[in-house]
Amino acid sequence: MTAQTGYGLITTPQTVAEAVAAMAGGAVPIAGATWLLRAPLRHEPMPDRLMSLRCLTEVQALDIGPERAVIGAMVTHDALAGALAGQPDLAGLATAAGASANPGIRRIATLGGNLGAAGFAASDLVPALLAADVTAVLATGSGLQSLPMAAFLAGRGGGGLILRVEIARSARRAAHARLPMRKAGDYPCAIVSVSADVSGGTIRDIRIAVGAVESTARRWSSLEDRLTGTALDPARAEAAAREMSDDFTARDAVDAPGWYRLSVLPVLLRRAFTQIKV
Amino acid sequence: MPIELTLNGESIALDIDPRTPLLDVLRDRHGLTGAKAVCREGFCGACTVHIDGQAVPSCLRPIGLLQGCNVVTVEGLTAPGTLNRVQQAFIDHDVVQCGMCFPGMVMTLTTFLDGTPNPNRDEVKSALVGNICRCTGYERIIDAVLSIRSEGVA
Ligand SMILES: Cc1cc2nc3c(=O)[nH]c(=O)nc-3n(C[C@H](O)[C@H](O)[C@H](O)COP(=O)(O)OP(=O)(O)OC[C@H]3O[C@@H](n4cnc5c(N)ncnc54)[C@H](O)[C@@H]3O)c2cc1C
Ligand code: FES
Ligand code: FES
Repeated sequence: MTAQTGYGLITTPQTVAEAVAAMAGGAVPIAGATWLLRAPLRHEPMPDRLMSLRCLTEVQALDIGPERAVIGAMVTHDALAGALAGQPDLAGLATAAGASANPGIRRIATLGGNLGAAGFAASDLVPALLAADVTAVLATGSGLQSLPMAAFLAGRGGGGLILRVEIARSARRAAHARLPMRKAGDYPCAIVSVSADVSGGTIRDIRIAVGAVESTARRWSSLEDRLTGTALDPARAEAAAREMSDDFTARDAVDAPGWYRLSVLPVLLRRAFTQIKV
Repeated sequence: MPIELTLNGESIALDIDPRTPLLDVLRDRHGLTGAKAVCREGFCGACTVHIDGQAVPSCLRPIGLLQGCNVVTVEGLTAPGTLNRVQQAFIDHDVVQCGMCFPGMVMTLTTFLDGTPNPNRDEVKSALVGNICRCTGYERIIDAVLSIRSEGVA
């Protein structure tokens, strides 16, 4: 179906193939619209050819199984937070989805839109998905593509319809710590998302992702190496993070200067570790 | 092809730019000025309406995504001349100051109480994270909400 007027149009493809073809013809996917509709505020043009994803069943999946979790691109933050409640290995993603933005936005903003908003540095889901080591599945002109999150982020903007992310379930524990300038409702100025394999109080393997500090979230590999094989100790993790926080080139923006983002990172790591330890 | 939806119980058809925010349609075309245009970026909640039973900011809902949706504004929440229990509690507790934020507050809290009939203070605060009030300091609003919990007065 096409909602066409004298001003612009929104097409509603019925199949993924139609959607991919529409994108090739210049149509821009629109999901929750919470990023796209603010384009004028960012002094960016609003695309005049949009494509609604609401009729595509392939982007609606929300299946949290014992072996694998599958989360479709059109799943809202609100729905995601509800579906992930009580799952220790996905607790970081649950917090990211449930604490982001505000309740009204969480009811409309989607996973796909959060991943697709390349200019949005303070995304909560991106670092949580990096820590969860998800695979993003995209539909492109040359077929389906499965990409680890880091590769997806590096190629973002290259097109492709995000269909879903897939997560292998495990006995790991995860946490997500964020610092908005007010208690809630603002963008976080720094985010730490952690997923750890802990046994006998020792970290066997750990993934630490940092968001909102640089323009795109990324793993903190040097700190992961340093903490692997050590005791799960929030104070020690904070001290190590403080020593290593110059691994990041923090961005200055209207909500916070770069030095501030760096100075709160170690505290956020401690908070995430404290959550995992409980 | 016009976009068809239900607005406060009436079917309407709109042949306009599908990127137009619902907020502008409400205020400029239908004279429904209860939803306020304040931040226009999803932060303040003054434009909150119900779409298919969910409280969401109308400033970030392009009309082109609302085909077949059921939109209710504060004007359509109750029969003319009547108040719902949230509105009545706000009057009873003398909560309102300038009033700019209140239509949005009413819309948010009405659906919140439907889903969470016995909230505690923190739950009410969390529900209101996206509804900013520049005048009141919030505490009396929360008192008013707690007074109409289904289990009674706080
Ligand atoms: C007041 C406010 C506060 C917020 N705070 C936070 C916060 O604290 N943390 C947080 O994480 N988020 C926050 N957000 C949300 C965030 O800023 C984005 O607006 C949101 O993630 C975009 O999701 P959407 O579904 O609305 O995307 P849309 O606006 O519909 O799209 C965003 C981009 O993604 C593309 N896109 C959408 N779906 C797909 C797809 N399936 N495949 C390919 N490309 C796609 C679009 O083309 C567009 O470029 C906030 C938003 C607001 C308004
Ligand atoms: S005007 Fe819509 S949230 Fe502020
Ligand atoms: S009463 Fe004035 S903004 Fe809330």
